[in-house]
Amino acid sequence: MGNLNDPRLQYDYLNREHGTVEPDDKRERFQWVSEVAYKNVHRIVSRGYDTTELVEAGYGLADLIFVDFQARIPLEEESKMLNYVMIMMLEDGLSPTAAISRIVTKSKTLLTQAAGASVLAFGHAYAAYDAFGKMMNAYLGKVDSKELSLSEAAEQMVKDKLESDALGISSLMLKDPAAGKMLARAEKLGIAGKYTSFIKEAEAAAQKVFSEPVAVDMLGATGAVMLDLGFSPESTWGVLAVTRAYGAGAHYCEEVEREGYTRLGQNLTPKENYDGPEKRPVPTLDERAKFAKPGQAKTPQEWRDIVDERKKLKGSGWSIVEEIDDPKRKI
Amino acid sequence: MDREQILNRKTSISYKSEEETVVRGYNLSDLAEEGYSFCDALFVLFQGRIPTEEEEKMLEYETAEFLEHSMSPSAAGAISVISGRPNLPAAVAAGIMTFGSAHGPGAAHGYMLNQNIDRAREEGKSIEEIGKQVVDEYMDAGLAVMGMGQPQHTDGDPRAEPTHIKHEELLGEDSVYIRLQRTMETRFNERRQKEGRSYVAVNMIGAGNTALADLGFSPNAAWCIGCVTRGFSCAAHALYTMKKGRAWAASKREPMVQMLDLSMIKYVGPEDREVPSLEERQEYARKQKEQGEYKKWAI
Repeated sequence: MGNLNDPRLQYDYLNREHGTVEPDDKRERFQWVSEVAYKNVHRIVSRGYDTTELVEAGYGLADLIFVDFQARIPLEEESKMLNYVMIMMLEDGLSPTAAISRIVTKSKTLLTQAAGASVLAFGHAYAAYDAFGKMMNAYLGKVDSKELSLSEAAEQMVKDKLESDALGISSLMLKDPAAGKMLARAEKLGIAGKYTSFIKEAEAAAQKVFSEPVAVDMLGATGAVMLDLGFSPESTWGVLAVTRAYGAGAHYCEEVEREGYTRLGQNLTPKENYDGPEKRPVPTLDERAKFAKPGQAKTPQEWRDIVDERKKLKGSGWSIVEEIDDPKRKI
Repeated sequence: MDREQILNRKTSISYKSEEETVVRGYNLSDLAEEGYSFCDALFVLFQGRIPTEEEEKMLEYETAEFLEHSMSPSAAGAISVISGRPNLPAAVAAGIMTFGSAHGPGAAHGYMLNQNIDRAREEGKSIEEIGKQVVDEYMDAGLAVMGMGQPQHTDGDPRAEPTHIKHEELLGEDSVYIRLQRTMETRFNERRQKEGRSYVAVNMIGAGNTALADLGFSPNAAWCIGCVTRGFSCAAHALYTMKKGRAWAASKREPMVQMLDLSMIKYVGPEDREVPSLEERQEYARKQKEQGEYKKWAI
C-alpha cells in the first residue's frame, strides 16, 4: 500500500496494532494537579483560602488576584496600587485591543470571542509585559551578581535594547503625565522598589542616548510597578491583558449598537489599494508544467536567492524574522 | 512614530490624546489618583457613572468571588491550550472563550430578567406574579429554568446564596431584579417538591447576574464582567502549568499518568477498517452513502 512497506520506515506499518492503549495502572491515575486552587461540592479554595470567606471578610478583586497569582494576602497599599494600575490599563482608546474586538464583533460573534480577541492582541510590541519584565530581570541580575552597578546596568540595557518595542521608555508619554504619576503613586504608597528605581535609571540613561526626548512610558511604568508588586513578567502580562478585556467588552457593545454586522463578502477592497502582481490569466492544467517553477533549493546560495525573491511578496512571511524561544524545555 | 487611529470609528467610550486618556469624560489618571477602585472604573466604562459605595462593594464582592473556580471549563481550556506552549495570552483567551451557553451562560439570564420585568409592566402584573408565571411556563414546556443548579456543587453553589444575601444587604431586597429572581427560585422548588424532586439551589448566574443587573449593567456588560474576571484565574492556572508542568501533557516520565497520555483515550467510534484503494473508491463510497450507516457517526 503506497510507501508503507518502505524498508526505511522505523517499524512495520502493514502490521500495526489496532485499538487504543490499555489504561496505565502502573502509574498514579490522571488528576488535575494544581497549586492554585481546588473545589469540592461545598467550597472553592484558592491557595488555601476559601474564596467565599475571603469576600465575606471584605477582600476585593485586586486582593483575589494577589491570592491567585502570589498565594498571599496583599498589604492595603499593594491592593490600592494594583487597583490604580488596573484602572490605567482598562482603556486605551481605539487601540489594537479595542479595534480587534470590534472587528471580531462585526461577524456577529459572542461577546466572549471579542474579549478573547482583545487578550490575543497583547503581544511582544503592544503591551509587551512579558518581554519587558524578562529584560528588567536579566539586567537587574547583573546588578545582583555584582557584575554591573545599577546605573551601568541601566546604560547597558538601554544600549542593547535601543530598538526594542519592550524598552518601556519612549516618546509616547511626553505630554501625558499619567506614567510619571503612577511611579510617584508607587513611591507614595511605599510600593516602589528595585524595578521602579531601575526604570528611572534607564530613563536617565536613555535621555543621554536617544536623539529625541524620551520618558518612561505606560509599558515601563505599569511593568515596573507590577514587578515591584511581586508579579512575574508572565503574570503581569496575563493580569493586564485580562484587565483590558473589560474595555473590549464595552467596545463590543458599542460596535453592535452603532455599527452593526458585516456579511461574508460584503466588504470590498479597492483595486487602488492593491500592489501585488498584475492580473494574469490562469494557465490551463495542460500548461501547468510550463508555468510552474519548483520551489526547492539545492544549495545554501540557491536558498538565499529564493528567499530574497520571496521576500518581495508581502504576505508571504519571508520578511519576518522572529526571536526564537530557547527550545531547551522539558517535554 | 505613527500614532494614527487604527480603526475609523465614532465612539462614546473613550478618547486618547498625547496628553491624556479619557473614558466617558473622566481622565483615567485622575480617577486612579483620586483613589477610585478598578470596580468603580468598570461602572464608568459600562455605565458612564461613578457608583455608590455600596454598589462598588457589591461589584468587588462579586468579581472577587467569581475570579477563581478551580477546575471548570475555563481553567481546563487554559491548561489544555498552554500544554502546547503558545504565548500565554492564547491560553487566557481560550479560557475566556469557553464561556458560552452552558458555562456562565452568556447574557441570556439578564435578558430573561429584563424581558419579564417589562412583561409585568405591560400585563399589569406584579413582579411576584410574573415570576411564578415564567417558571410555570418554562417547566410546563419541559425547559430548564435559567440560574438554577450547578453540576459540581450539587448541594448548591457555595458562592451563590451568600451573593444573594450580600446583594440584599448592600442594594436592598425590594428591587425588581432580586424580587423576580427570588420568586422564580421559590416557585421552581415548590414545583419540584410537588413533583417529588429534590431541591435545586440558585447558581452563580442566578445570583451573580441578578446583582449585576441591579447594579445597572446590561446583560452583555454583566457577561463581560463575569467571563473576563475568570480570565485572571485562567492566567494563573495556565502559568502554573507552564512553569511547573510538562509541555504536551503526555510524558511517560511523570509518576502520574498525564492528561494527554495515550491511555486516556477511550474510542467508541466505528471499528478499524481497511482504506479502499482509489480504484475501489467510487463503488465503495456509493455503497457507503446508500447504506447510510455513517449517519450514526456524522456530527
